Amino acid sequence: MKAYKKEVQFTIWMTVAFILVGNVGLIFSIFPVDAMLFGFPVMYIVPILMGWFGVFFLTIVAGKIGNRIDDEIDSENSALGVSDEVKDV
Amino acid sequence: MMEAQNWQLSNPILGLAVVGATFLLFYIVGYISNRKSASAKELYIGGGNVGAFTNGLAMAATYMSLATFLGITALILQLQVPFIMLWIQLILAIPLITIIYGTSLRRMGAFSPTHFIRDRYGVTASIIAALFMILVSIMYALGQMIGIAITFETLLGIPYLTGLFVFGILIVGYITIGGMAGATNNAAIQMVIIALMFIIPLGAIMKAVGAEGWYFPPLFYSDMVPAMLESLPTFFDYQFSPKWYFSIIPALTIGALGLPHLAMRVYTASNLKSARSAMVWFAFILGLVFSATYAMGFVGVYATATQGLTISEGDADKLTIILNLVYNPEWVTALVIAGAISAGLSTLSGNLLAIGALISQDIIATLKPNIPQRLSLRIGFVAIFAGGLISILLAIEPPAFLVVSILWAFGLAGVTNAPLIIVGVWWKEANKFGAIAASVVGGAIYIIVSPFVFPSIVLTGHGVTDGMGLSGAMLAVPISFILLIVVSYITNRMPGLEKKLTKQSDIELIERIHGWKDIKSYRYNSTVGAGVTVIVSAAIAVWALMPWGM
Repeated sequence: MKAYKKEVQFTIWMTVAFILVGNVGLIFSIFPVDAMLFGFPVMYIVPILMGWFGVFFLTIVAGKIGNRIDDEIDSENSALGVSDEVKDV
Repeated sequence: MMEAQNWQLSNPILGLAVVGATFLLFYIVGYISNRKSASAKELYIGGGNVGAFTNGLAMAATYMSLATFLGITALILQLQVPFIMLWIQLILAIPLITIIYGTSLRRMGAFSPTHFIRDRYGVTASIIAALFMILVSIMYALGQMIGIAITFETLLGIPYLTGLFVFGILIVGYITIGGMAGATNNAAIQMVIIALMFIIPLGAIMKAVGAEGWYFPPLFYSDMVPAMLESLPTFFDYQFSPKWYFSIIPALTIGALGLPHLAMRVYTASNLKSARSAMVWFAFILGLVFSATYAMGFVGVYATATQGLTISEGDADKLTIILNLVYNPEWVTALVIAGAISAGLSTLSGNLLAIGALISQDIIATLKPNIPQRLSLRIGFVAIFAGGLISILLAIEPPAFLVVSILWAFGLAGVTNAPLIIVGVWWKEANKFGAIAASVVGGAIYIIVSPFVFPSIVLTGHGVTDGMGLSGAMLAVPISFILLIVVSYITNRMPGLEKKLTKQSDIELIERIHGWKDIKSYRYNSTVGAGVTVIVSAAIAVWALMPWGM
């Protein structure tokens, strides 16, 4: 049960996080900001930086958690009896 | 092209020599990598043992089409910042494919997304999905063919049709010979060429127009901002409403999840851990080149606004190359051409391999499962070649803006395939009746509201918004999700249909591709989750039908 819940929650929250980080322009279109950062308008440079480094950071996190959940699924599998095993192709 | 100014290399031999050398390299790599391609598995997914770094680069190259060099900068010239905002989220494609369904389909050993659809929903649904995917892949390949022919026309003065046929067939030949192993190794090399040939010349252009940050073009151009604001104060304006920015998510973020040639890259990974590392490399390298593309668009607008450079509308697609011709020596422009051709080539090989897999594996092998391996492989080669030939023939009369037709194809993938894969992986109740309804009705709605079939039936009347499929996908993608869930839910409860469904094997398939060795009824079976998806989708579809105010 545990690993299943983690897998579903991880996928939902990670998807939401990716969509938000990749669509910062949408957020600024609702809440405009009139300021400058590094010499650029905030509404220009922040979406670009998030769309590169933000997404890059999330892929590292997603990779690590994904691998861990795989391991947990494997360990729940190995705790199973042979009787209810499904044929593995 | 009879424009005010003729943008061309004065020494076409130089350009031809560079392009010829690049082609030779790709042919050799393709030949060496693919000598051992004895089975369909090796042809389409490179044997399934490509390393993470190579695969990450290859993913990025497959994704970075010729649009990077030709189309995007044109649309930045036309739409300015909103188009940059639209483009940024395209980086989500591989990460989202990987976490939502890529690892599951890799575990299953699928060749293509439609392979999963066949096992999950049966033959009819998979053939419908495959036909839509062939359409998507051909539209995508068409964009690359047009771009390649335009590049040769612009730079070397080779007539459009001659370039299209000569180079089109050379490229299709290379892909047919190379297969996926060749394509993957080549795509990784191509990514390096694309990055170098785009970013270094951009630095030189920035130096020429007086930018201080020329040593790191993707981000260091803020010293040009004051001059830009002075001569073109509207450049940074968002222009459109939040609704327009929202519509990007169903059209392009979900759309990318249905693109077969991208998903196939995940299956080439040697294992799941490697697939996840590949997505990290993908995000890093793609972010770098994407940021450089925005910088190139910025510099292009800057040069036209402050430096007296005039680019006619018909030449907008050639912005990158024109900037190089104006500010850089000719040999640099010749290298940029090599980069542009590499970008087109890597995407085109992804598209054509997807077409090959779709026709030979998802249609012919589905209808005739007992044909021998050798024949199946041969059909694959023929299909790849035929797909290339069709895209060449369609490119004889090209549409005006290259990128628009490619982005529209994203939406079609998002409507006809993405819901089937996403819901199919995560919800046991999804069945073939829901899948067929979603794909056929959703696809029909998307095509009807596009400006290409009935120009008067559109949702916004804003040409580029309708043409890129933003408005159409915002309506059709949620409808597709609703149909898949509701029709499946109802038909599962109709006793008369029970015999036509394969509930037990569906359940086993879903448990297995998530890595489970047992079956638990509570897993992947949430009615609440399905209900929430239907409600949210309905709200989005209604919102899409309300006036856009454009």
